[in-house]
Amino acid sequence: MNAVVTTQKLTKHYEGICRVKELDLQVYEGEIYGFLGPNGAGKSTNLKMLLGLVKPSAGKIAIFGKDFQQNRTYVLQHTGSLIESPSYYGHLTGLENLRIMQRLRDVPDKNITEVLKIVRLEQQKHKKVAHYSLGMKQRLGIAMALLAFPKLLILDEPTNGLDPGGIEEIRELIKSLPGQYGITVLLSSHLLAEIEQMATSVGIISNGQLLFQGRKDTLQEKSKNYIFLRTGNNEWAQNLLQQKGYHPVKYKEQLRLANLTDEEIARINKTLVQANLDVIRIEEYHKSLEDIFLELTRKENNLC
Amino acid sequence: MLKRSIAAEGLKLRHSRIWLILFVLPSLSILIGCANYYLNQGVLHQEWYSLWTQVSLFYGEFFLPILIAICCSYLCRLEHQNHNWNSLMAAPISPAHVFLAKLAVLGILLFFVQIFFLLLYYGAGKLLQLSSPFPLETLGWIFKGWLACITIASIQLGLSLRIRSFATPIGICLCAVFMGLGMYLLKLGMFFPYSLLTIGMGILQQKCIMGSENLLFIIMNLLFTILFSFISIYRLKNTDITA
Repeated sequence: MNAVVTTQKLTKHYEGICRVKELDLQVYEGEIYGFLGPNGAGKSTNLKMLLGLVKPSAGKIAIFGKDFQQNRTYVLQHTGSLIESPSYYGHLTGLENLRIMQRLRDVPDKNITEVLKIVRLEQQKHKKVAHYSLGMKQRLGIAMALLAFPKLLILDEPTNGLDPGGIEEIRELIKSLPGQYGITVLLSSHLLAEIEQMATSVGIISNGQLLFQGRKDTLQEKSKNYIFLRTGNNEWAQNLLQQKGYHPVKYKEQLRLANLTDEEIARINKTLVQANLDVIRIEEYHKSLEDIFLELTRKENNLC
Repeated sequence: MLKRSIAAEGLKLRHSRIWLILFVLPSLSILIGCANYYLNQGVLHQEWYSLWTQVSLFYGEFFLPILIAICCSYLCRLEHQNHNWNSLMAAPISPAHVFLAKLAVLGILLFFVQIFFLLLYYGAGKLLQLSSPFPLETLGWIFKGWLACITIASIQLGLSLRIRSFATPIGICLCAVFMGLGMYLLKLGMFFPYSLLTIGMGILQQKCIMGSENLLFIIMNLLFTILFSFISIYRLKNTDITA
């Protein structure tokens, strides 16, 4: 797989405060890469650096395998973006806004017709954008980002301000982009559910540092499953299991064990029963992506 | 690429009220200037030249610099509003072209303003029944005034790019014009960009600057325009965009 975006130790200081710290990002072709992190984690700053809007304090950016600094125009030609809130000229109509972007990107007229169709703004194209609803502005922003049918699409919080119907619509649109137009998507969100539903790869950022990066399924696998045991005498059971080489931890009224195979669980059960201990409950607890996310980001916060 | 950027800048001015200002401010200058001329005919004997002293004073020392500053602030406000810097600077356009396209559009607008002012001056002279022939020096003043306009525009554009407020750069411009008058009187006008308008348009002295002085005037305009454009482009290239 070809890397579309690679950063090396990308760092940004603002007045001595480190907003993005030594980020090594890897986005591969055909992916929908979800950039996840709490508000103020450095997501926007990082995406802006990828577009040259913010100048890195240190580190390197390569997009399409080319150094950004030296190939700015080439990279931007093949990159569409929607950063922060949508950009628009309020006194102009939706169509005129697209025409401006058409001049800047030198694309044919048919692209305008097509993107208007994709974001379903054909009926409103002659209306002044100042009179658009937030959702319509957001859709216009996506249309502008798509106008040149770029190889890479960078979207910062793309479903911000949309109603549930609109969110669903945009989500389906984004999911279809890699397959239909060969567009690699890099999007950010502070909402886990959104990333969970759209992304194929995930990068988790907190306080400017990348805590996890990889395929979404890897992250899910990474989620340790716990087994909770409840017995007639937890202390006795704990001692017994420790002797057998397990590491049970007392957790409220239960014992918690991590990373067990099914066979091990069966063996533990047998041991306890043979020792004449009542086994009341064996429960499996599966951590959701949300738990992992919270755990990762919280740990980070505690360190500070 | 620059042509496309200029076309895009042109599109942004559609449905815009900036056109109103382009017509109103020169008209106001002519109106006030003519009224002054009409009321002081006792001391103003030189017909076209006397009329020029009156109209160009209000135009060149007040309304035109304000007009330039307003246009610059307006062109930048379009981008300051609604996060447009993000999409403009993430387009495959070099920062130099972003700046130069705006300066070019200003140059075109100001050219039409100068022509419009010339027509108004001619019309006003005819209305006041001036009998002497129309002085051809005016064409030179209009053209040289236009050069000075571009110089001032290159500075004002830089200020407006930097200062998000609409009015502050206009205030700075007014102060600079008054300073320019002082510099002109101190005979340092050639070295202060805001005085160039006074010199170029023959506002205070209706002699047509000649030969070497003409050359110096053009060179100084070029130098200032290049210098201030370079500063703005450098800044646009090297600082973070805040939209």
